[in-house]
Amino acid sequence: MFKTIWSTLYGLLVDDGQLAVGALVALAITWVLAYAGGDTGRDLAGWVLLVMVLALVVANLYRAGVDVRRRVSSAQR
Amino acid sequence: MDPLTLAIHATPAFVASAVEFVEATTIVLAVGVTRGWRAPLIGTLAATATLAVIIATLGVALVTIVPEAVLKGVVGALLLLFGLRWLRKAVLRFAGIVAIHDEELIYQRELAELRAQGMRKTEFDWIGFLVSYKAVLLEGTEVAFIVIAFGAAGGTALTAATVGAIAAGLFVIALGAALRKPLTMVPENWLKFGVGAMLCSFGVFWFSEALGMEWPGDALSIPLIVGAFLAASWLAVRMLRALLPEGARVEARNV
Repeated sequence: MFKTIWSTLYGLLVDDGQLAVGALVALAITWVLAYAGGDTGRDLAGWVLLVMVLALVVANLYRAGVDVRRRVSSAQR
Repeated sequence: MDPLTLAIHATPAFVASAVEFVEATTIVLAVGVTRGWRAPLIGTLAATATLAVIIATLGVALVTIVPEAVLKGVVGALLLLFGLRWLRKAVLRFAGIVAIHDEELIYQRELAELRAQGMRKTEFDWIGFLVSYKAVLLEGTEVAFIVIAFGAAGGTALTAATVGAIAAGLFVIALGAALRKPLTMVPENWLKFGVGAMLCSFGVFWFSEALGMEWPGDALSIPLIVGAFLAASWLAVRMLRALLPEGARVEARNV
């Protein structure tokens, strides 16, 4: 039963493990910046998180595109 | 809260919930058309009751007991994970790598599967009940998650999110009941794209606020963040289309 609950929860939140891990790392960096960076760090935290997540989305999708291209070309051979 | 402010605050929850309700309605319609309406309607009511219990216990407890900053932080993180999943899938759909979500196709598949199961007229239709119960519970859990996420600030935000979700449910159910066929006219793929960007934006916004950051203009900065996510997604769609020519994109769906 716990396996089913876990797989449902995982499926609800995560579509790609690397994207989820990347997002968690970005959240952790933001948290550290806000707490260790003083007032400036706290004021910048949101913008830094936004930039990291946007870069993560583009990079993850680029990697997905390259993977698909490789699979298509190997399937054609 | 005046009606106009309520409408503005309820819109994100309305749009996001409508997408989930459309998916659940498609399944319930397919069950009702093939196997009769009694079992799927009872299944829908049972799932709604289960959801009401989940929201009443978990949701209300979360919003009222957990400190606001902790709630915003946790909900913001979950919202970002949830939103990134939607956005990624939406970009892959628009780039042609994943097949576009087709309610008509899903409806026809569900019809064929349910007809193949067969039924005895004298018995209660447990298959119809369970299929509807599962669909409504699964999509409804996502709606509950959306309401809790958009209402994480508590008070008026929670009221607005709840009103938005209820309005979306009533709208989609009324539309489904009137048409009795899949709601293909709802631009679901476009909505999913927008909802993905909105969920990610609220995630970034809440999480940063939980850390003590004050956004310029407070909630007015949310449209700006949504715009940034939409721009990055558009860039990603263009990049993927350039990476894969049309023929390869079609083939990619079958690899």
